[in-house]
Amino acid sequence: MALGLLAWWSLPVASSAPNRIVPGDAVYAWQVAGPAMAVLASLPMALAGWVARQPDPGWRSLGLVLLALLGLPLWLVLCVHQLVDPQLPQARLGIGAGSWCTLFVLLLALLDLRTRQRWPAGLYIACLCVPLVVTALCLPLGLDRLALWQEYRGRADDFWLAVGEHLLLVGATVALSLALGAALALLMRRLPALQRAGFGVLNFMQTIPSLALFGLLLGPLAWAAQRFPWLDQLGISGIGWAPALVALVTYSLLPMVRNTFVALEGVDRGVIEAARGMGMSRGQMFWQVRLPLALPVLLEGVRITTVQAIGLTAVAALIGAGGLGRFIFQGLGQAAMDLVLLGALPILVMAMLADGVLGNLSRRLGRGVTR
Amino acid sequence: MIELIHITKRFDHTVAVDDVSLKIDGGEFCCLVGTSGCGKSTTLKMINRLIEHSEGEIHIDQKPIRSFREDVLRRRIGYAIQSTGLFPHWTVARNIGLVPRLLKWPKSRIDTRVEELMSLLGLSMADYADKYPDQLSGGQAQRVGVARALAADPDILLMDEPFGALDPITRETLQLELRDLQARLGKTIVFVTHDMDEALRLADRLVVMHEGRIVQQGHPLQLLREPANDFVASLLGGEDRGLKEAALLPVSERMVPLGAGGVARERIDQTASLREALSVMLWRRVERLAVVDDDDIPIGELNFRRLVGARVND
Repeated sequence: MALGLLAWWSLPVASSAPNRIVPGDAVYAWQVAGPAMAVLASLPMALAGWVARQPDPGWRSLGLVLLALLGLPLWLVLCVHQLVDPQLPQARLGIGAGSWCTLFVLLLALLDLRTRQRWPAGLYIACLCVPLVVTALCLPLGLDRLALWQEYRGRADDFWLAVGEHLLLVGATVALSLALGAALALLMRRLPALQRAGFGVLNFMQTIPSLALFGLLLGPLAWAAQRFPWLDQLGISGIGWAPALVALVTYSLLPMVRNTFVALEGVDRGVIEAARGMGMSRGQMFWQVRLPLALPVLLEGVRITTVQAIGLTAVAALIGAGGLGRFIFQGLGQAAMDLVLLGALPILVMAMLADGVLGNLSRRLGRGVTR
Repeated sequence: MIELIHITKRFDHTVAVDDVSLKIDGGEFCCLVGTSGCGKSTTLKMINRLIEHSEGEIHIDQKPIRSFREDVLRRRIGYAIQSTGLFPHWTVARNIGLVPRLLKWPKSRIDTRVEELMSLLGLSMADYADKYPDQLSGGQAQRVGVARALAADPDILLMDEPFGALDPITRETLQLELRDLQARLGKTIVFVTHDMDEALRLADRLVVMHEGRIVQQGHPLQLLREPANDFVASLLGGEDRGLKEAALLPVSERMVPLGAGGVARERIDQTASLREALSVMLWRRVERLAVVDDDDIPIGELNFRRLVGARVND
C-alpha cells in the first residue's frame, strides 16, 4: 500500500495529448484538480494500508481495496474532464505510470487477501468484475477519451478479428501438441531407447530463439508449397499461419511430452501392481487407473503449454500469422504506445485466465489423488 | 489346492527360483519365509502370473495356470500387498468392489458384497465407505486391501508382506484377525513375510527358502524342534527358539488338575500361551499359576517344571 501511495504521488498519473502522434504531457496527481482532491483520492488506499496492520483486517480491508478499485475509473473520468480539451476530437488521455502502478498494487492486495482469507473464489471474481463494470459504465462519461479506447474504436473489427486469430492459433497449437505430445510420450514408454533421443531433440528445439525458428521454417515451407500446389491452396507457405503453427507446436512439445511422460510414469508402482494382480486388463489399467492418476500433472503440462503459446503467438505476428501481436508491432513501428498496449493487455488477460482456469482444474482433479 | 512342480525362474542370467516343488492343500495357511532376495516373493507372484515361470508347471485345482487367460486367473485369486495398492482416486467402497465389477456382477450384488466385507473387517459402512485411501490410517488401509482381495470370494489369497509397514500393535491385531478370518472362511492363503514371529503365529505350513530353493517345510512346531540345518535354526531364532515354541503352545497343553496345595494367587487364562505364562512367573516371581477359564474360574494349575516340559519322573 505504501508502494501504491508512493507511485501515486511520484509518478505521472496520466498524460494528455491533442492527438495520437504528439507525445503526451505528463500530469502528476496534484496537478489534476489540486492537492486536496489528490489526497482525497488516495484516502481509501491509505486506510487499507492502515487497516491491514490491525489484528483482524478481513472485511474492512477488502471493502477499502474494492473502494479504491472503484475509485480508479472515477478518478480517470475526473482527469478527462480536467485535462482533455473537448473541442479537439482527437484529444486523448493516456493512463500514466502512477495509475498503472496503483492498479497493480490494488490487484496485488486482492491476491494477498485471497491467500490469507479463505473466502469463496466467487467473491474475488466478483471483486474483479465490479470495477470492470463501473469502468464500462463510465465510458460515456468521458472515459471514451482514454487513448486506449480511442485506439480500440479506430479498429474495433480488426481488434476482435485479431483476438479470434490469436485464440485460434493458440487453440490449434495446444490441441496439436497435446495429440502429438501424448502419442510421443506413449511411444517413449513403450520404447525406452527412444527416451533419451526424444528428450534430447526436444530440449534442443527449445533452445532455438523463436524468431530464428520462424525464419528457419520460411525456406522449407516455401519450397514445399512450390513443389506441391495443393499445399499452397491450403494456405500453407513460407509465411503466414502455417510456419507459425509448426514453430509453436515445436516449442509446445517439450513441456507437453515431459509432463505427459512424467505423469504416466509417476503413478505409484504399488497401485499398478495391485491393478495387475486384481486382474485388470491393459486397457482397464490405462483408462481407469493410470490416466486418471496422471491427469493433474498432465493438465499442468497443458497449462504451461497454453500460457507459453499465448505469449509466443504474439511473436508469430512477425511472419504474418496475425493475432494480437500485429498491434504490438504496428504500435512499436509507429511509436504509438497505446496501440502496443491494445495488443499486449488482452494477451496478458488471456494468459492469466488460461493459467487460472487450467491451474484450478488441475488442483480440483488432484484433490482425490494427492490429498 | 496349489501345486508347484519343479518350478524355476530365471531373470536373464540369474536364477531367482531354483527347482521348487510345493503342494499347498485347500484351506491351508502357508507362509513363505526367508531372507530378502531368497525368491519367496517371486514364487508368490508366479502363482497369479504377475511373473511367468521359466520351467516347470503350476497347477491350481489340478489345472495348469497357463490354461487360463491371465486376467481371468487373477480375478479368481485374491491379492494383497504391503503398499496396499489402493487406488487413491477411488473411495473405499469402490476400491473393495473392484474385482466384482471386473467380473461384471450386477450393481446390487456388488453393493451387498461390499457391505458384507466391510463389516467382516470391522470397517463401519457409515464412517469409511465414502472415504478416500489417504484419509485412512495404515491399519485401516490394509483392512481395505484385504477386503478388496476377498471381494469376489476367491478360494485362494496371495499376500505379499501385507502387514510389513504397520506398527507392531496394529500388526498383531490384524494377524489375529486374519487367522480368525481364515479359520472361518477356509481360504487357502499363501503369505510371504520376513517377520518370523508373524510366520510362526499364522502358518499351518512354514516354507523356509534360501537362495531360490526350499530348505525345509512343515508345521512351525516341527521346524522349531527339528531344524534341517543351521540356517533354518538361526532364521527361526537360534537360542530364542524355546521362547518361540512356547509362544505357539497354549497353557492348557501343560496344565495339571488342581492339586492339594490350594489355588495359586496369580492367574492365567487357559488360552494364553506358555510364553505368556512364563512371563507372568518371571514378573510376579512365582512358580505356580492358577489356570482359569473364560469365566475366571480356576480349572487347573501350571507349575514351572510342567511349563518347561520337564518329564514327570525327572
